[in-house]
Amino acid sequence: MDFSLSEEQEMFRGYVNKYLNNMGHTKVAREFIKGETESYETIVAGLAELGCTSINIPEEYGGMGLGALDLVPVLEELGRSVLPGLYLETNSFAVTVLERFGSESQKQKYLPAIAEGTHTFSIAWLEPGGSYGPADIQMMASLEGDSIRLGGTKTLVPDAELASSLILPVRTGRGSGEEGISLVILDLADTDIALQRQRNIDDSRHLAEITLDPIRISQEQIIGPLHKGWDVLQEGLLAVNAALASIMVGGVEAVVDMAAEYAKIREQFGQPIGRFQAIKHKIVDMKVDLEIARSLAYYANWALENEAEDRVQAIVCARLFAAEAYNKAAADNIQIHGGIGFTEEIDCHLYVKRARFYENYLGSTQSYYEKAAAALGWCEPEKVKQF
Amino acid sequence: MDFSFTKKEEAFRQELRTWLESNLPDGWLEGKRDIPEDEKEYSEFLRNWQKKLYEGGWAAIAWPEKYGGRAATLMEEIIYQQEMVRVKAPPLVNYVGIHMVGPTLMQIGMEEQKEAYIEKILTGEEVWCQGYSEPNAGSDLTAIQTSAVRDGDRWKINGQKVWTSFGHLADRCFLLARTSRGEKKHKGITVFLLDMNQPGVETRPIIQMDGKHDFNEVYLEDAVAYDADIVGEVDEGWRVMIALLMHERSGIGAQVFTLEQQFEDLVVLAKEVQEDGQPLIKNPFTRKAMVDLYTRSRGSLLNYYRNLTKTLKNGQPSAEGSMDKLIVSELTKELFSQSLSMQGHKGVLWKEDAVFGDSYWQDNYLYSFGMTIGGGTSEVQKNTIGERILGLPKDLGR
Repeated sequence: MDFSLSEEQEMFRGYVNKYLNNMGHTKVAREFIKGETESYETIVAGLAELGCTSINIPEEYGGMGLGALDLVPVLEELGRSVLPGLYLETNSFAVTVLERFGSESQKQKYLPAIAEGTHTFSIAWLEPGGSYGPADIQMMASLEGDSIRLGGTKTLVPDAELASSLILPVRTGRGSGEEGISLVILDLADTDIALQRQRNIDDSRHLAEITLDPIRISQEQIIGPLHKGWDVLQEGLLAVNAALASIMVGGVEAVVDMAAEYAKIREQFGQPIGRFQAIKHKIVDMKVDLEIARSLAYYANWALENEAEDRVQAIVCARLFAAEAYNKAAADNIQIHGGIGFTEEIDCHLYVKRARFYENYLGSTQSYYEKAAAALGWCEPEKVKQF
Repeated sequence: MDFSFTKKEEAFRQELRTWLESNLPDGWLEGKRDIPEDEKEYSEFLRNWQKKLYEGGWAAIAWPEKYGGRAATLMEEIIYQQEMVRVKAPPLVNYVGIHMVGPTLMQIGMEEQKEAYIEKILTGEEVWCQGYSEPNAGSDLTAIQTSAVRDGDRWKINGQKVWTSFGHLADRCFLLARTSRGEKKHKGITVFLLDMNQPGVETRPIIQMDGKHDFNEVYLEDAVAYDADIVGEVDEGWRVMIALLMHERSGIGAQVFTLEQQFEDLVVLAKEVQEDGQPLIKNPFTRKAMVDLYTRSRGSLLNYYRNLTKTLKNGQPSAEGSMDKLIVSELTKELFSQSLSMQGHKGVLWKEDAVFGDSYWQDNYLYSFGMTIGGGTSEVQKNTIGERILGLPKDLGR
């Protein structure tokens, strides 16, 4: 029995932690929000140099060939610093999908570049007025010769300006079910797309609406089997959700640290406010949630890496718990800080906003509850809708 | 990360399973778990069970071999708890003796004390209880008022103890009494090994809100103890208490494993209860509540394993044990609250009139309120976590 990260994993966490702190912790996110991306770019290069982008890339494609658990320390640290960017979408989602379903040439084209830190992915899933459900994937994609013609609009696309490629679920077949959806990779360097920025509570993640005025791309850009993109998406989502749980754990940890430190130095009525049980116990509640969230996230990533039988419920529940804990802890952190917590100057709001950003990201809380229930055998999986 | 058990550990598990199969009362494993209602018969039943455990070498597995234990590893203790929970084994009547008094005497007791008590603890010949809490000393044990005054070659003890589990069955008490008053409240407390069978000791039952009688009040009127009954030094009982707590290295494992099992029972209940001709589990609101409880009971188990890993690496338990206790006791309360809600108004039916599970849900629901109080309230656990793990300043007055 050993339920802990390995010494190597903890050591690597130390490197990433030290690097991000040296770079100013939340300073990168703050500058990014103001539109200054210089320190963000430095950090992306720096993290690649540390090896973060190559951890889970197979060795034959220039990576370290490690697993989901090895990403955990990096993910937690990124979450701690509310770092902008597409690490989750690239290293968890795109790498999983490419590794499992990509053709040899797709792997050759993307995996080494991801490992080097020069290629990033975003996910363009939602369409205006629609949900994450299959019925709402209506972007038209018609096969013509050896190319595909794509046209329509995707909305709430995260950090499209930072992405080298987008992965899009599109409708290649008829109807509105899971069947007939395919996943395509759209390389942005050689595509002309109209991009309309959308204001987001959490401006450390940029959102945009993109419109494809019908364009033509090669059919080689389809990833996984034609019309079966939904299943490919589900595999990618498992990896994303396990990773997202760890990112959120990092966020909760930062919030608990902030609250505890402030409660030790802020004095009212002649004593540090952390002496009052109304404050102390609130912070303890946050800490307890943090440790439960971390245990669930560790196990989720273990289950993913080892393809455990209970991996779906383990991953989904880890995500659900972390999201709830993060939103609650981030909100309580403001209350503990009092007036200063309400200001832009203090980091409290960065965490509230990021927690909210993740709450329903890539699937609603509601639909994940049902997905967990189905995995536990309490309702029929075919009746569970993603939305 | 590795969730497997070694071959040696699995062999240990198998040995215990085999023993349990042939030694539990007849029909026990098939669900016929008849525990006598009558107090005397109940006491007899529990003592017999402990005797059986002793004869099989399963009463005190963590004790060193020279005292009749198996020198079990921490992992073997965990497996032991898992297996005992799995078969819903009867409680260990001499829990206090085996887990607290015995190990403490081995560590700091005098040779005469070891000789006089340890073997009888193991065999169940002498059952022990704890004498800590008092009417005005609950969460704050330093406030105890029971006094021990020297009178020639003896000590005269006066005062009142409360919440004494199995006090009515006990032969001896691990008693905290005040022997002096100094500036620091935790100084001046002494631990006595008190004979319960003497005129100065009177035990009165406390009937709990679940109708049962586990707890007692113990009245001490000129009860007598001798120098030979003191553990450690006079006035230094607080140190003895700290040493005693360090023996609880497996923490609240048994409760964590029990909660896991109770959750499985809850799933069965959610399929059994019908609502409008449909099992309750078909209701999405119920499912959401169930997923939530599943997540948190898994979380409590996994968190326990993470803390256990720390204990295995450091060789001793840490303040994280407070977190396990807080989580599992609060969650148990929620689980049984949910179980009654799920039964609708029928949930209020109790004992022989209960509709589901022979009153298991109602009895445990009522019992669960004690879990966030006994062994340190949730509020005390939160203070420990806040101060010892997060480094927050101590409350005034402590």
